[in-house]
Amino acid sequence: MKVFDIALKDLLRSLRNAFFLGFGLGVPLLMGVIFYFAFGGLASEGGFDIPRVDVLVVNLDEPVVEYGGFSAGEMLVGILQSEQLAELLAVTESDSADAARAAVDNQEADVAVIIPAGLSAAVFDPQGQAEVEVYHDPTLTIGPGIVKSIVTQFIDTLAGSKIAAGVAYDQLTEQGATVDGTILQNVAMQYGEWSASLAESQGASVLLAVQSPAGGEEKGNLALAIVGGVMTGMMVFYAFYTGAASALSILQEEEDGTLPRLFTTPTPMSAILGGKLIAVFALVIVQVLVLMAFSSLIFKTAWGAAAPLSMAIVGLVVLAASFGIFVMSWLKDTRQAGVVIGGVMTVLGMVGISSVFTANVPGAAGGFAAILPLFTPQGWAMRAWQLVRDGGTVSDVLLPFAVMIALTVVFFSIGVLRFRKRLA
Amino acid sequence: MRIVDLMIKDLQQLVRNWMTVVFLVLMPIGFTLFFGLIFSGTGGGSDPRLPVAFVDQDGGSVLDTRLLDLLGASDAIRPVVSEESVERVEGKVNDGDLAAAVIVPAGYSEQILRRGSGRVLAEEDVPLTVIVDGGTAAGSTAQTGIQAAVTRLRGAVKVAQLSAEALEAQGGSADESFLVDALDQAIAAWREPPLTVATTQSGAAIEEDEKVSVMASRYGQASPGMMVQFSIAGIIGAAQVIVLERKSRSLRRLLTTAISRVEIILGHYLTMFVMIFAQLALLIGFGQLALGVDYMREPVATLLLAVTMSLWTASLGLLIGVLARTEDQAIIFSMIPMFILSGMGGAWMPLEVTGQAFQTIGHLLPTAWAMDGMQNIIVRGLGLNSVLLAAGIMLAYAVVLFALAVWRFKFE
Repeated sequence: MKVFDIALKDLLRSLRNAFFLGFGLGVPLLMGVIFYFAFGGLASEGGFDIPRVDVLVVNLDEPVVEYGGFSAGEMLVGILQSEQLAELLAVTESDSADAARAAVDNQEADVAVIIPAGLSAAVFDPQGQAEVEVYHDPTLTIGPGIVKSIVTQFIDTLAGSKIAAGVAYDQLTEQGATVDGTILQNVAMQYGEWSASLAESQGASVLLAVQSPAGGEEKGNLALAIVGGVMTGMMVFYAFYTGAASALSILQEEEDGTLPRLFTTPTPMSAILGGKLIAVFALVIVQVLVLMAFSSLIFKTAWGAAAPLSMAIVGLVVLAASFGIFVMSWLKDTRQAGVVIGGVMTVLGMVGISSVFTANVPGAAGGFAAILPLFTPQGWAMRAWQLVRDGGTVSDVLLPFAVMIALTVVFFSIGVLRFRKRLA
Repeated sequence: MRIVDLMIKDLQQLVRNWMTVVFLVLMPIGFTLFFGLIFSGTGGGSDPRLPVAFVDQDGGSVLDTRLLDLLGASDAIRPVVSEESVERVEGKVNDGDLAAAVIVPAGYSEQILRRGSGRVLAEEDVPLTVIVDGGTAAGSTAQTGIQAAVTRLRGAVKVAQLSAEALEAQGGSADESFLVDALDQAIAAWREPPLTVATTQSGAAIEEDEKVSVMASRYGQASPGMMVQFSIAGIIGAAQVIVLERKSRSLRRLLTTAISRVEIILGHYLTMFVMIFAQLALLIGFGQLALGVDYMREPVATLLLAVTMSLWTASLGLLIGVLARTEDQAIIFSMIPMFILSGMGGAWMPLEVTGQAFQTIGHLLPTAWAMDGMQNIIVRGLGLNSVLLAAGIMLAYAVVLFALAVWRFKFE
């Protein structure tokens, strides 16, 4: 029973400790809240609240009188100013390309769309070429991407019509057929109609059958998916902190002299050490369960199926606790522990959960960024939790779970051996 | 002079603790390198485009090879021909090794190019299977790139169909070779379309030097971001010194000497200012020399930002030293604002990717202005005028926080 008394005493002391409450629970929850608000928590319908893009349009194009005053420039301005895009784009017209570029340089606008003088003429001239410029602030990617996508769709329709007329002319001439302007105009118009009908029928997405990896469903709410990932990362990161900080009590009591005094009592050393180790495991369990419950209630985080989730919980708890015991067993005093908890655990933790930061950045996940975390215990824990959250089964989680258990055995054995030797 | 003496004593005390060096210098450098490397997308070697698997189950038929050409011409994605099973490719998309996968189903070409009664039929929507996680930015970008290439392919088929119809309307006959010729001509035209959209970025730094542009895009977020975050982490040690002096009654004992209360407060404040300024100078030097981030293109503007950043952070450190009763509290009181101010100020990720409300709230914080100021220099290539507002706001924060610290300062 003494072993449990010691464990309970240590556990209660940790739970009353402001450091644990602050770092073990407060900070990870705070991170979740920050990311929740960052990615749409303040949006009215819980979706992703993209700010409106400030667009300056400079239309230097001139209508082509021979073709009924056709003006591609005016059409493009009309599309950008249309009601359907009003929630995405705040469009203002400008007369000068230089002034528009200067406005973007001075961050008065996000993007400038500069329509060249000969755009409409280039549509009808077989040799004509034109280039619409999308000029943007280099720190922005989303807004300019949206604008470029809209402009490109329109310009591709015009370019396609032009290409259609050119190809028809060449092919028919080659076959010895008579080609007049009406035939080419007809081909170009039919292409334009096809392109427009494609755009109306939900765009080019009808040409693709999109499915998410692992055959699962698309993530319903991007904001909550991101926050779920962040909460997973925070839980893994701070579980290892807690494991180390909790194991620190062994060094603390040694320094305070309470541990040597305890050895003078009839309590065997195995009971004292065992009690302390149980407290470390119990504290990490409490932390993980509290964070999971909070995240489920507030952020509606879906943690995955019960069986693989249980494996991930067990793996994380035993690995974080044993790693804390292992690390503390190598330190001389609490002064060194401060450096290790503050520095080493932070570095290992940040590397281990780096997928949280790279998940939403194009090109950042995979390769080097996917391999490096696996050199840290946190990286294996993170992998297991991600697999579970992505709908992985027991067999999917088996490898990271096995690695976590193997690491636990190694860390725990070395840590306990060192402490036994030290306290003997 | 007594202020300087007190500062030198504090600095000696801090430098002796190697945790200070870890927090002040090693960790920000390590994280800058780490985030710079992973955000630069090193997986593709010299090609920064997103990798997309191309799985051809249609046996290299007419449209498959042409689709591969069009995908390869994309600015956003690079196709990687894969012989692996769909399940394996799917796993790689799930793991983030691939941004997406395009699966060309068996019979794709034949279905689209089906001919009947001597006419080309290309009206049916035969979809192409794309495996992609649309919930990620990489997935969404890849999907847009694939969509553009497929639209051009289907556009080329439409062009071939229209040409064939025009020929047939004149009594001619469009055979298979006519169709393929027209298709190839249309696809060739799409490689260099007559009407295009060009994207250009503002910023003198980018126009001047392509190498600077590459480094700015790789470290333009990570370098100032980690600088902002770890300048706050750096105040922990100095705040603990104040706590320790109060707990050990050194502050009271100091009052029995010739040094005044104002000099004691200013001495501690100066310690924090010098320490953070030295940290920023080191990190700016590291960014400039090792990472190629051009802070020195506007040295006066960079100096102004470093000074005002140091001033407001030192004021925060002084306030924390005043409010914390124990050393543990000094750590918690420093780390919590570090996380909040860094996260909400755009030090971890560009505020652009967050919602409108978050951006507005973020810009109430000095960290967001520090990021704006630094990025005005290193990414946007702007000059001194562009950092004046940011510097002014940080200075205002410095004054307010310092006033609060002085008001609450207790010597016992």
